[in-house]
Amino acid sequence: MEQVEPKIVAFLCNWCAYAGADLAGVSRLQHPSNMRTVRVMCSGRVDPLFIVQALKSGCDGVLVAG
Amino acid sequence: MTQKLLKLSGIGESRLHLAWLSSAEAQRFVDISSAVIEDIKAQGKFDSKLFSLELAAAEETLKAETLRWMVGKEVKLLARGDVYGRKWEKARFEAILDEVLEREYHKQLIRQAILADFTSVRAISQRIGLGLKRISYLLADMEKTNMIEFKGHTECVPVFGAL
Repeated sequence: MEQVEPKIVAFLCNWCAYAGADLAGVSRLQHPSNMRTVRVMCSGRVDPLFIVQALKSGCDGVLVAG
Repeated sequence: MTQKLLKLSGIGESRLHLAWLSSAEAQRFVDISSAVIEDIKAQGKFDSKLFSLELAAAEETLKAETLRWMVGKEVKLLARGDVYGRKWEKARFEAILDEVLEREYHKQLIRQAILADFTSVRAISQRIGLGLKRISYLLADMEKTNMIEFKGHTECVPVFGAL
């Protein structure tokens, strides 16, 4: 049986993680596309409630990178 | 703390991944995201309907005043001290935060179970897997803070309702 691709919500801090992801894109590095990114101005903005709400709305995992 | 809550609720702490990343570490972003995807893939699909009670309870726990207050006070308690001037150690603070987290989560879980129509102590225990004694103890606390009310008896079994 084919495995379904997981959906992952990634909260990325604008100055650090999002810029890193952007650089990965610009440098044409191959990376998997299951990450649904949410850009936040600072990873401290991510309230634990966001994580629970993300899981409630049907994602399989959450990444918070700061 | 959120990972502890996810572990407590049975959802699993490894549904949440935390990482430090800098803007120059493009290759690391690829490595981290691949590793996270592999890990989540191995855990399988997350069924939010199966865990609807636990998720609702987790959400209410994170909204709880006590918890938010404690987390907000952490820096001050560790660095400057409490109202008596005593500086807290991180280990002691974490131990108390764990206790508060567990208690709040169990209370919210009981309330969600009552809302889902499990209104007697035994029914609640069967649904959420907590001991009868623990549930009765927390119900008394919840009654005092007007989270639930005692609704009488059906067939000699006490029945509760959520407020």
